[in-house]
Amino acid sequence: MKKLTIHFSLLVALAFVPAMCAQTSAPAIPRTADGKPDFTGIYQWPTYLPGAERGRSSATTFDRKNFAPLKPGGEAFLEPRTGDPRHDEPRDFCLPAGFPAGMLSGNAMQWFQTKNYLTIVHEFQRMSRIIPLDGRPHRKDIEPSFYGDPVGHWEGDALVIVTKNFKRWMMDDYFYTDPKEFRMHSDALTTTERIQWKDKDTMSYLLTIDDPKTFTKPWSQEFQIKAKPEWDAVGLFEYVCEENNRCPGGKCQGN
Amino acid sequence: MIRPFYSFLLIALASSAPLLAHHSFAAEYDDTKPIKVMGTVTKVEWQNPHIWFYLDVKGEDGKVTNYAFSGGAPGQLMRRGIMKSAIQIGSTVTVDGFKAKDGSNNAFGAKVTYPDGRMVFTANQEDQNKR
Repeated sequence: MKKLTIHFSLLVALAFVPAMCAQTSAPAIPRTADGKPDFTGIYQWPTYLPGAERGRSSATTFDRKNFAPLKPGGEAFLEPRTGDPRHDEPRDFCLPAGFPAGMLSGNAMQWFQTKNYLTIVHEFQRMSRIIPLDGRPHRKDIEPSFYGDPVGHWEGDALVIVTKNFKRWMMDDYFYTDPKEFRMHSDALTTTERIQWKDKDTMSYLLTIDDPKTFTKPWSQEFQIKAKPEWDAVGLFEYVCEENNRCPGGKCQGN
Repeated sequence: MIRPFYSFLLIALASSAPLLAHHSFAAEYDDTKPIKVMGTVTKVEWQNPHIWFYLDVKGEDGKVTNYAFSGGAPGQLMRRGIMKSAIQIGSTVTVDGFKAKDGSNNAFGAKVTYPDGRMVFTANQEDQNKR
């Protein structure tokens, strides 16, 4: 009986070991005064996890192995090339990158978090995303837009941002790698970003594409976002695309 | 279809190419029209969406032609510590690149070097590293 009691005590003690280990190994992450994870800071753009397909661009692009099957008879995922430069590459004429392509562009980002908002400012085209965190619903009866209508909420230590109401637009910069592969999302796109600190310097950025006009089901890709506190000294630089866009469509002004 | 020679050249130059954030290479430049010139820097436009620098290049007939070369986005360059002072008016540089699709004297400057072989846009950084 005594032997049995010792074994039982040992089992009880062992049962607590994983919990104790988990407690001691939980990463120390930045937190706000009210205990929420704090994402205020300056960051590199979302970058690839090891093993992901990489495009030939300073921007990060999606890995085709993550794509869900295309919807039969759905909207064109690859926009046909027409020879009209304004149609074939609108950003060369300083039109916006939109989301998610702009978010993945290879420039610095600065994030500002308050209780009720997360604001993401991207150096590329000075993209600004103002994301309410106060529990409000998506806005109704507004025009579809390049960057959509985002709303964020907390799921434990993860910030989840759901964005709807996009206009049909480019999805990423893979056309830098292959001009024939100009990927588009439809106006039925809903994106879900799940953002969570992995350690004090690295965030997991899980982006889910739910585009029922284009794909048969939602699909996701995880990226990482690295904190770059050393970039804070100079901050973001101005980006006014129209300032000196000398060769839109390959037709140059001067020289 | 990229011809094998130009494909090789494009890959060879890619390692030193400025970062194209705003548009693809194919939108503005022609990979079948490589250009290599040496000249004197006459003007620098350190502006978005890409920097431009201009060279006076003397041809074999003695005639001087002004070429304009596109580089990286200023923000991306400056975050790497490469400031406007990296390329000075009056300096002599050699540029390997590709001409614009319109056949004008505008081009993409993939590789920019001083006569001693140092890379123009990283030369100052290399100098600093040697100290």
